[in-house]
Amino acid sequence: MPPQANCALPQGFQLDQYRIERQLSLGGFSIVYLAYDTEGTPVAIKEYLPNSLALRKEGETEPQVPEEHRAAFRYGMKCFFEEGRALAKLMHPNVVRVLNFFRANGTVYMVMQFERGRTLHEYIQKHRGEIKEGMLRAVFARMLNGLREVHSHKLLHLDIKPSNIYLRTDGTPVLLDFGAARQTLLTDQPVLKPMYTPGYAAPEQYEKGAQLGPWTDIYSVGASLYACVTGSAPPRADERTQHDTLQPLVRTHAGRYQNQLLELIDWTLLLDPLKRPQSVYALQKALVHRQRGADRPEKWFSDLGSRLKSFIARN
Amino acid sequence: MRFTIYQESRVGQRSNNQDRIAHCYSRDALLLVVADGMGGHQHGELAAHVAVQHIALAFQREARPMLADPSLFLSRALTNAHHAILDHTLDRGLAEAPRTTIVACVIQHGAAFWAHAGDSRLYLLRRGHMVTRTRDHSRTQMLVDQGLLRPEDAQHHPGRNRVYSCLGGTHQPQVEHSPRTPLCDGDIIALCSDGVWGPVGDDRLVTGLTNGPLGQAAPQLMDQAEHIAGPSADNLSMVAMCWHDENNLGPATVDAISTRTMEMDMFSTRLGSGSASNGGADLDEDEIERAIREINETIRKFDQN
Repeated sequence: MPPQANCALPQGFQLDQYRIERQLSLGGFSIVYLAYDTEGTPVAIKEYLPNSLALRKEGETEPQVPEEHRAAFRYGMKCFFEEGRALAKLMHPNVVRVLNFFRANGTVYMVMQFERGRTLHEYIQKHRGEIKEGMLRAVFARMLNGLREVHSHKLLHLDIKPSNIYLRTDGTPVLLDFGAARQTLLTDQPVLKPMYTPGYAAPEQYEKGAQLGPWTDIYSVGASLYACVTGSAPPRADERTQHDTLQPLVRTHAGRYQNQLLELIDWTLLLDPLKRPQSVYALQKALVHRQRGADRPEKWFSDLGSRLKSFIARN
Repeated sequence: MRFTIYQESRVGQRSNNQDRIAHCYSRDALLLVVADGMGGHQHGELAAHVAVQHIALAFQREARPMLADPSLFLSRALTNAHHAILDHTLDRGLAEAPRTTIVACVIQHGAAFWAHAGDSRLYLLRRGHMVTRTRDHSRTQMLVDQGLLRPEDAQHHPGRNRVYSCLGGTHQPQVEHSPRTPLCDGDIIALCSDGVWGPVGDDRLVTGLTNGPLGQAAPQLMDQAEHIAGPSADNLSMVAMCWHDENNLGPATVDAISTRTMEMDMFSTRLGSGSASNGGADLDEDEIERAIREINETIRKFDQN
């Protein structure tokens, strides 16, 4: 039986010092709300509410957790705290900022800075296969600044995908959703297996006991770049390890983007972790390195829209 | 500061645990607390909970990172905790103020200060011997002091649980304070409820606690107390601390906590109450509170940068 959907808290609900405006998203583990604090500043509030373990019925505020799920519910809460711990340490313009953490209604809440814009996923949907190279390079180079910050705290994101990369209205990216983030040094500890997103997860994330590292996030960055170029995610990594149907982009998309960029994406999507770029810095360097002269397709110049210009201007 | 801490509270054979324990430290000061909510009265666990929480919070407010005057702090914190219990009684409309014993110890500048009311005890052990322990505020101890009861009979005296000083209740507590007591490398300070010291007595407590590293010796002692008490085992609680010389980096101190690298305004706090038997992956209430507090402390810390 599929679990029943949890009801979101109603508009106007006073949650601690925040007033709920509306639901922003509903996931398997949480609901995200737009809310306002006492000064009227908008914030995003993430509510820990695993669908399979807790149920909030229409008109109720406190979710019901059946006795047999209580231990699992508490355990999941531990993972939610891990996300909070991970984010609390990070203060970077390209990483979502946590503002507060509190307990109410029998569960826990994480308050984050509210960002206006849309996800890269939405952007890809709208501009399928037509994303400009300059925009791609600019967005990812900045997003990687955030990811470098994450890695420098000995953390891995482990769920990088276009729907977790948010584009502010000024075009700058913010890395969201650290629900799968994990302290690299603690990988041998039992963890509630996060829901990896097929297509974006690295092959080693499907393997038990495999060594996860920066190269794992790098694969997901590559898969997100791939999605920008082709309009959809690459084949699932676990299927690729059985029978690899992935065609290198240099073959399928030559001419539309610089070879150097396509080669770079193909490089990040190699199944063998050791053959990929080993650090975000290496990837970032290659991304901002633009080849000059003959390699650059003529079309690139004529395609420059005002949006792209504004991106370059900010570089 | 360098020290090793062991803290545990068990329900024993009772239906609920009315003991509350905590330790909390900043870079330069350490607090240890045990409270035993009095079962004969209503809501003993509430009194113990309010008292421990109140004292731990007061410590976090004032030890930044050092207390101005540890004795004065203990005196004020215990009196205020008493009044906090009375306030709770009013807020909740309880017919009578719940009561709890209390023993609290502060260590700062290499010296210990403690204060207590009731029959929860503090032991100071040095090189396998007892240097001192608190004297219970109980009817039996009074009889022993007056020469009307032999110490060895006190353990079985029917009045041994009659405590004449405590926090909460209708009377102002009579809090007894220790002098400033300098600590030596290897000294053990153990705070415990009568559920621990009652069944084992002083001698077995001293040998038990000094028998190997604290992390093993303390739970073994509690096992022993629980075993001796059998079906009548009361709640058992202990916060034990082994003091290490800052420069002693010997193998005995591998589990030790060093506060040297702590930020000035940082605290580590552990409150405990529940039975440790269901340890493992499950989170208890206190751990949830602690996780939230730690996350918020980190957020505030980075916000100021």
